[in-house]
Formats: sequence, C-alpha cells, structure tokens
Amino acid sequence: MIRVRQLQKVYRVGEEEIHALRGVDLHIGKNEMVAVMGASGSGKSTLMNIIGCLDKPTDGSYELDGQRVAQMSEASLALVRNEKIGFVFQSFELLARQTALENVELPLIYSREAGLTSRERERRALRALDRVRLSDRVTHRPNQLSGGQKQRVAIARAILNQPAILMADEPTGNLDSVTTNEVMEIFRQLHAEGQTVLIVTHENEVAAYCQRVIRLRDGLVLSDLPIAQDQAGQVIA
Amino acid sequence: MILSPYFYSQAIKLALSQIWANRKRSLLTALGIIVGVASTTSVIAALSGLKTSVLTEFESFGANRIYLFPNRPDDKPRNLYPREKIRIKPWEVLELQTSCPSLRAITPVTEFGVSIASEGRELDGITVVGIWPDWHEAENRRVIDGRIFNRIDESGERQVCLLNQSAIDELRLPANAVGSHILVDGRRFLVVGIVETLQSRMFGGDSNTAEIFIPFSVAIKLQSTDYFIRVVALAKSADVSEEAKAEIQRTMRRIRGIQPGDPDTFRAEAIDRYIDQFKSLASGITAIAAGIVGISLLVGGIGIMNIMLVSVSERTREIGLRKAVGATPAAIMMQFLLEAMVLCLAGGLVGVIIGKLFAVGLTMIPGARLEHADVPLWAVFLSFAFSAAVGLGFGFFPALKASRLDPIEALRHE
Ligand SMILES: Nc1ncnc2c1ncn2[C@@H]1O[C@H](COP(=O)(O)OP(=O)(O)O)[C@@H](O)[C@H]1O
Ligand SMILES: [Mg+2]
Repeated sequence: MIRVRQLQKVYRVGEEEIHALRGVDLHIGKNEMVAVMGASGSGKSTLMNIIGCLDKPTDGSYELDGQRVAQMSEASLALVRNEKIGFVFQSFELLARQTALENVELPLIYSREAGLTSRERERRALRALDRVRLSDRVTHRPNQLSGGQKQRVAIARAILNQPAILMADEPTGNLDSVTTNEVMEIFRQLHAEGQTVLIVTHENEVAAYCQRVIRLRDGLVLSDLPIAQDQAGQVIA
Repeated sequence: MILSPYFYSQAIKLALSQIWANRKRSLLTALGIIVGVASTTSVIAALSGLKTSVLTEFESFGANRIYLFPNRPDDKPRNLYPREKIRIKPWEVLELQTSCPSLRAITPVTEFGVSIASEGRELDGITVVGIWPDWHEAENRRVIDGRIFNRIDESGERQVCLLNQSAIDELRLPANAVGSHILVDGRRFLVVGIVETLQSRMFGGDSNTAEIFIPFSVAIKLQSTDYFIRVVALAKSADVSEEAKAEIQRTMRRIRGIQPGDPDTFRAEAIDRYIDQFKSLASGITAIAAGIVGISLLVGGIGIMNIMLVSVSERTREIGLRKAVGATPAAIMMQFLLEAMVLCLAGGLVGVIIGKLFAVGLTMIPGARLEHADVPLWAVFLSFAFSAAVGLGFGFFPALKASRLDPIEALRHE
C-alpha cells in the first residue's frame, strides 16, 4: 500500500540546511491503523506531507498503491491527492460560507470523473456525512457546528473519494478530550469498515486507538511497534 | 487537463458569492469599469442618435442631389482661365438637360441683389433668384399657393415671380399675395405663387430670409452680361447619383472641349460627399470615445488587479485546501481568472445599464435632436468584450500567483 525507502527531506533556509527527514523506511499495509508520534520538530508533518503528496522528497522513493509518486509533476500529484488521499488537518480547514454538504462535495469539483450528476454528487456526499454520523447537520455552516462536528465534516470530505489512505496531522490538537474521543471513534469505525488510516499525534490516548505506533526522532524512525509493546515501552522509559 | 462543467459552474458561483460577500469593495473596485463603460456607451448612444437624425435629414434634404459650379483649376494662372471661360452658360445647362439620362430634374440658378418695392414698402439689396420650373423638384420645395412657372413664363421672359412667407411679410403684402404686384428693379412683376418655407435645419437654415424667385431667362436679362450660374440637378434615384454626376462631368468636358489630361473648369458635387464627411466625423468622435474607454478600463483594470491580489492573499488557506483536495495549478488559475472576469463583466453590465438609462434621458431633452439616441448592440458587445479582456489581462498575474502557491505553505498562512 505505502512503501517508503530512504526518504530524505532537506529544507534550505538561507545558508543553513535543515534535515527534516534523514532516511526513513516505512511500509504500511492495507487496512492498517497507524499512529506517528515523536517530539515537536522530529519530522512528523514533513513525512505526512510527503506521503500525502503535498510535498516532494529531496531523495528516496515512495510508492503509493503501486504507483511511484516521488517525482511526479504537480498536476499529476493533484490528481493523486484527489483520488487516493484523504487529508484531515488540525484546524479543520472548512470553507466558512459553505454548508457541511458543500464542504464535503469540494473534492468532486476537481474530479476526473466527468458527467457526474448533481444527484450523484449529493448522494456520495450524504453517504460520507452519514459515515461520520452527521446526517442531521447537512445544511449547517461551520460556525453552526462544534469543533468535533467540524472535524467530522472534514473527515467526511477526506473519505468522499474512497481514498487509499486517510491521513490526519494532529486531528485532535484543537479538541478537548470529550470531542477527541468522538472524533477518534469515527476513525476507529472507518478503520473497521476497511479504511487504511495514518494519524500523527502527541497524545497516547489517541495512539491507543491505533494498532501500531511509529516513533520519529530527528528525522529518523526511532521505533515501529505494535501498540501494546509501544505503550509498555513508554511505561518503562 | 480538462476541467469539468461542474468545476466551471462552481467557480462562477463562487465568484458571484465572493462579489456579493464583499459587495462594497467589489463596487468600488469595479467603479473604474462602470464609469468607463457608462460614459462611453452614453457618448456612443448620443452620437448614433445624432447620426440617425442627421442622416434622415440628409435623406429628406435629398441624397441624390448634385450641384455644379464653375471652378478655376487650382494652381493655374488666371489669364489661362478667365472668368468668361469657366462661367456656366445657359446653353450648357440646356445641353446637360438633354445629355444626362440619369437626371430627373435640372435647373440653372442665378442670384443677384436688387431693390424691391411694394405699395407699402421699399427694400434694398434683396436677393432675387432666377430658376427654371424644374427647381421645385430639384430643391424639393413646392408651391403652397398659386402656381409654379411654366414654359411660356420662361420663353416669353414674362415678369412673374414667386415669394416665400418672409418676403410677403417684409413687403407687407396681403395674406393672399397671389395676384399682387411688386417692383423688381423698377419693373412690375406679378406674384403667381407662394413657395413653401425651407424645411432643412441644417443648410441655409435661416427660413426667415425673404426669397424672391423669377424666371431664369428674365434674371439673365436683368443682369446684363455679368452673371453667375450654378446648377442644381436631381438624379433619378440615390443609387444612380454617382452615375449622374459622372454624366454631368463627361458632358461638361465634351461641350467645353477639355482635352484629356487637362483639368476641369467646373466642379460637380453630389450631396453624398457631405454625408461621408459627417460619417467620418462621427466615426472620429466614436474612436475618441473608444480611446477614453480604453484609458478608463486601464485604470479600472489596475484596480481589479489590486483587489484580486488582495483576494488571493486573503484566501491563501482556501487555495491551499483546494490544492490539498486535488485542485491542479490550472484549476486554481482558471478559478481566479473567472473571478476577475465575472467582476469586470458585472461592472460592464452595470455600466451598460447606466449608459442605456442615460440614452433614454438624452432622448427626452427637448430640441437636442437626440430622439434616436440608443446604445447600439455592437457597443454593448464591445463593452462586454472589453470588460472580459480587462478581467483576463489584469486578473492574469494574481491568478498566476494563486496557482503557484505551495499547498503546505498556503495552509500554514496566518
Ligand atoms: N518549510 C520549512 N522550511 C524550513 N524548515 C522546515 C520547514 N518545514 C519544517 N521545517 C523543519 O523541519 C523539521 C521538521 O518539522 P516538522 O515535520 O514540521 O516536525 P513536526 O511535525 O514533527 O513537529 C523542523 O526542524 C522544522 O523546523
Ligand atoms: Mg507537525
């Protein structure tokens, strides 16, 4: 599903070179639910952005769903993002003036599938909203929704095109513990329905929803363990 | 990269909702375009209205009329072309009458100043005009009372005359002047008819001038040897007026024995020439108006560019998100171009509406001769085309900037 080899990312800021990733190897199989953890600045977001095709690695290879995407053109990457990737952000990124339904339909604007009827678009968006249990908030605008509900709309938007992978960079970073559980329940359920999920988080409670934890430090994989062993290791350390 | 119809419908919907959400700002931004389009369409409306009324007047005045004047060729010494040589003679007019099949009417006209007297008054320096009966048809001026001259008046050199209303008033003749007598240069003339007042407001517009007409033969006799003749002719239709003019030129050259290569000693003019002159004047003014619109659209365009840059920077996060869910650079570019164009077209639409209202206002100004003022369809299309072009041209740079935004940086904005 996702295979990353010797992934490197170097940022140049003036004279200085910042090695955000120093050679990461990873494999994530179909229908896994994986947490990425690590201190601030360890390279989690950089890794997520590359896997999410929002950014290109400086070196290394990346294969997504059988496609080598590391050196694709920008337009091709846009297509990959549209069809294969669902991205959830910490701060929701909903369009304020649009309803929940319109926000969820957004990826279809850029879809390759020509000739979708408006009824079909709506049907898909409603189905996605149903999967995040927001069927009763379809015509609400973001300012009429709670933080947890906003993040669920964002998840519905991410799963609209049935992506190969659903990724989230600190999706609960702006939420309290009650709504965190509300959102994580949705991820757990989507995973149960067969979705591959990759979540960046600081919180052990969030990681606890996953089966496997990858820990980064200074741009390298520090550990990659099943959740039980990882949590045990944390207690010892 | 093909963008779907759904993309376009959403992009236009988004553009309209953006304009509406920032309606004050949009209005201020589009003001340059609105003012430019409104002022130009108004000027064009006024001009085309003026053109219509002037052309109708020309037509009623007689688009198929031809004038013939004696004319000394330019740059030729006076002694080679003495006055007598270029003067139009009565027999030449007779020859033209028989040799020009495209003419419907032709008359010589000779004018001279004399003193006129009636029982009540004596007037000095009044212009008397000698004409043939064809004059009425050639100049399109009928007799409203009495009769026109006949052959016998002309051939018998009878002392009869036609007056207009001003002449009757000035000579203090009875209201029914036909049958009265007046003295022209001391000779007794019988008033046989009243000529209608000149209708045209454009040429010889002073309908208050006293006019006195006498038979052409009499007028020549009264002037002794020094007379001046011009000719007024009417072609059978406006279509053949050029041909009729050519016939007159050919005939004159033939009867005057002008050798090929030698210049004309006369000048024939069709009224079309005046129409052409007016038309070129009008299109000159239209071109100036178009230049004005060009400048104001340029100014408007800079405003558009500025506001689009503001919009791109305000919506950086939105652009990042759209890219994250699969928008290609081309899609982002197209969306912002459409937004600039929709903004400009909306401005153009408001401008055209204001121009139309202005045109309606113009038609209501009494005496302004703008009753036909209207924004022509081509001006409407041109306004929209210009507005769209401004949107495209000045929206390009902001759109390019938006399309090149890096999605990660865009999402980190603010
Ligand atoms: N656009 C950038 N330019 C320069 N340095 C960057 C940029 N993005 C991230 N970095 C640097 O790369 C390292 C990894 O950052 P990031 O992946 O955001 O870490 P995390 O998400 O784990 O906190 C940090 O040192 C950060 O400062
Ligand atoms: Mg981060």
